[in-house]
Amino acid sequence: MASAANWSSPSTRPPLIETLVSGVDRYNPSNVSILEDYLYHQIRSEEYDCLANLAILKLYQFNPDLYNPDVVINILIKALTSSPFPDFSLCISLLDERPASAASQDEPDPLPTLLPILTALHSLLQQCRFPTFWTLYRSTEVEALRDNYTVECVGFEDAVREVAVRAVKAAFSSIGSERLGTYLDLSGADLSAYVEKLGWIVSNSGVVSIPANPDNQIESTVVQENIQLSQLTKVIAHAAQTSQPAAVPVVN
Amino acid sequence: MAQQRKAMWEADLDEDLQDVDLSLAIGNYGQNGMYEDTQSRIDEATLLAVQQQMAQQAAFAQIPDVVKRFIAHFHQAVLDNNLAEITVAYESGWNRLTEKFYAKTEWPEAEVIAPLVNDDQIFLILYRELYYRHVYSRLSPDIDDRLHSYENSCELFNYLLNSDGPVPLELPEQWLWDIIDEFIYQFQSFCVWRSKVKSKTEEELTMLADANQVWSSYSVLNVLYSLIQKSKINEHLVGLQEGKSAEEISEIVGEYGTRPLYKLLGYFSIIGLLRVHSLLGDFTLALKVMENVELNQKSPFTRVTACHVTTYYYVGFCYIMLRRYPDAIRSFVSILNFILRMRQYHTRSYQYDQINKTADRMYALFAICNALSPTRVDDNISNIVKERYGEQFGKMSRGEEGIPAFEELFLYACPKFISANPPPYDDAELLAAHIEDPPVEPAQRHLALFLAEVRAQAPVPTLRSFLKLYTSLDAKKLASFLDADEEEMVQQLMVMKQASRSVSRVGDEKGLLDGQMISTSDLDFVINENMVHISESTVGRRYAGWFIRNTEHAQRVLDTLRAAPLPVAPKPTGPPAEAGKDGAPASAAPRPQKVAWGSVKAA
Repeated sequence: MASAANWSSPSTRPPLIETLVSGVDRYNPSNVSILEDYLYHQIRSEEYDCLANLAILKLYQFNPDLYNPDVVINILIKALTSSPFPDFSLCISLLDERPASAASQDEPDPLPTLLPILTALHSLLQQCRFPTFWTLYRSTEVEALRDNYTVECVGFEDAVREVAVRAVKAAFSSIGSERLGTYLDLSGADLSAYVEKLGWIVSNSGVVSIPANPDNQIESTVVQENIQLSQLTKVIAHAAQTSQPAAVPVVN
Repeated sequence: MAQQRKAMWEADLDEDLQDVDLSLAIGNYGQNGMYEDTQSRIDEATLLAVQQQMAQQAAFAQIPDVVKRFIAHFHQAVLDNNLAEITVAYESGWNRLTEKFYAKTEWPEAEVIAPLVNDDQIFLILYRELYYRHVYSRLSPDIDDRLHSYENSCELFNYLLNSDGPVPLELPEQWLWDIIDEFIYQFQSFCVWRSKVKSKTEEELTMLADANQVWSSYSVLNVLYSLIQKSKINEHLVGLQEGKSAEEISEIVGEYGTRPLYKLLGYFSIIGLLRVHSLLGDFTLALKVMENVELNQKSPFTRVTACHVTTYYYVGFCYIMLRRYPDAIRSFVSILNFILRMRQYHTRSYQYDQINKTADRMYALFAICNALSPTRVDDNISNIVKERYGEQFGKMSRGEEGIPAFEELFLYACPKFISANPPPYDDAELLAAHIEDPPVEPAQRHLALFLAEVRAQAPVPTLRSFLKLYTSLDAKKLASFLDADEEEMVQQLMVMKQASRSVSRVGDEKGLLDGQMISTSDLDFVINENMVHISESTVGRRYAGWFIRNTEHAQRVLDTLRAAPLPVAPKPTGPPAEAGKDGAPASAAPRPQKVAWGSVKAA
């Protein structure tokens, strides 16, 4: 996200959604299904539109009857991989109170059990603890989330890898491929293929060089003071006023 | 009775807005069938009315003459649309009489003073607006006050929005701001009060079960959006940005938007939305509704200081929640400097206290931002922050151990968050469960999210202090200094890198959500396999300010000296040779000089 514009209005957003997100129709509960369909489209197509998803959560906030835990979980999964940007927290902010417990009559609400897991995963990404993330993600604890949700979310694992790639790109100019492998949860041929796709070069000794970018180029600078004429106007004006040779006061 | 009026307002509004395409969406969801039992209450009400009338006459006799005269005069000023007189009555008369007669009790009820104003319903609505505001600010409103103040607000907005054409009323800018400000304050106050189930009496529980649409989020948003829509304020602001002429703009905004009353209410409603969305935890939407508002004080749309203060406070806070600390800092610095400059003009305003409180909270938020994103900032403001929050700031700059300080300042300075929905007052069973296991308070939820972010960044200050000492350093060595696992430390370095980058508005982006990625730290590093290379941007020492200040000072001293009469010749003292000898020539000569210094300094 070099520019926030693509986040607040992604180029993939259809005009209908744009109207909903930017207008008062976003409050109309009958539009929730349009937004939900759009979310599932994002799930299938590796697109992401945070503001549209927040609009769903807003409708749930105002109309607890609309609440659909599957949708919420999918929104959170999508938001997870936008780390280090705060999308995940922004979504959680809108989950008022607990969702109505009335929903539990038919089938148990999966959110209360999955929310702590999602939060834990998010927190690991937030702290760039990628190897631990993968360990937790592959563990049996997270099985329910994997089997019922992330498996449906096309490109989820690659999206997590992109989070790692963003962090690596900014902090490293070169990185050992073993270390990189633990961040991406890839090894051997998979890793080589992934690195090649990124356009990064692996040396014979297994060190991956990362192309220069604004974040991994460092430079010492000294910011020098720059005095503007306007700062001196008072002094100069005063000097001009009093420049006529005046009788020098006798100093005794 | 009152409930009936409310229902009619709803009906009117819906009808009137059919062609505005707006907020049918907002107005009527789930609001049907809520006033079914009004019929049975009417008889009761007639009975009460007789008793009330007698009570009212007694109450009328109690009103001091000066208050009666004031009300009559105030009414006349409103009838004449005499802005100057209204302003005097509103800003000074009302407050003076409040201090004198109503410091601890309500003003006379509107029904009681009705005869003084020819039963002028519009004036009575305005009077009630003041009446309830006084109750909220000075006394503690009971449930009737809360419900009635809502009804009165509805009547006021109904009158403004659904009369035939724009109403011929004019009110001072400050009052218009206060109307919107108070409307949202009462909404927030009601939500907080409503969420405390345990302290409710039986009667209150019944009333709350019935009144589940009173002060609903939808109804509040409906009012604000309707005012925005009616006044075409967004079109107005866009027109101004496009440099359209006054004529073109009045063409665009139409008969409502050309009137100051609607124009300003529309503008204030945008700020109102910013605030309501922030209170509900929707920080992106809060900034999105501000899309067309330009945040600079060069061409202020309004001169109401409280409006600027509110705007920058909420914008700054939303930026914090969006992790855009540089933008938050810029927002706080700009308004805090503004407040400092305005201070001398505002001491007499009754809003001065409020503004000062908000300012103090912004200093606290500023301290938070500066701890999370240390940057060189405005000296003026950071000095005040050091004075007020120096202790907390010190702790916050030390990572994990500073968490309690973050918590303290966040809870002190954050908006009074609310839940969008009431506890289930209409369902005894759910309500019992609610009391048993109350949900986390909104402020605590937002705090938890914020602290998660702070925790993620917690290792940064320590790393920073080590990196500052080197230009390059082996990662293993750094890890051993920190007594940390090398891999973990490398991951923390990535966190540090991320924490030193932020999205920020850098130039003339349109809309408050837009921005570019910038670097926020003077310390940067890159890891080359296992070697950490560090570079630091330093700001050369600044001399200019010091020299300019002292040059100016010297000029003033010289001026004073020149203007001063020549000193009277000193009385002959001891032989000069003596003074020279023991190295103390100070006795006679410097004395007049000392006086000169002293007087200049004091000036």
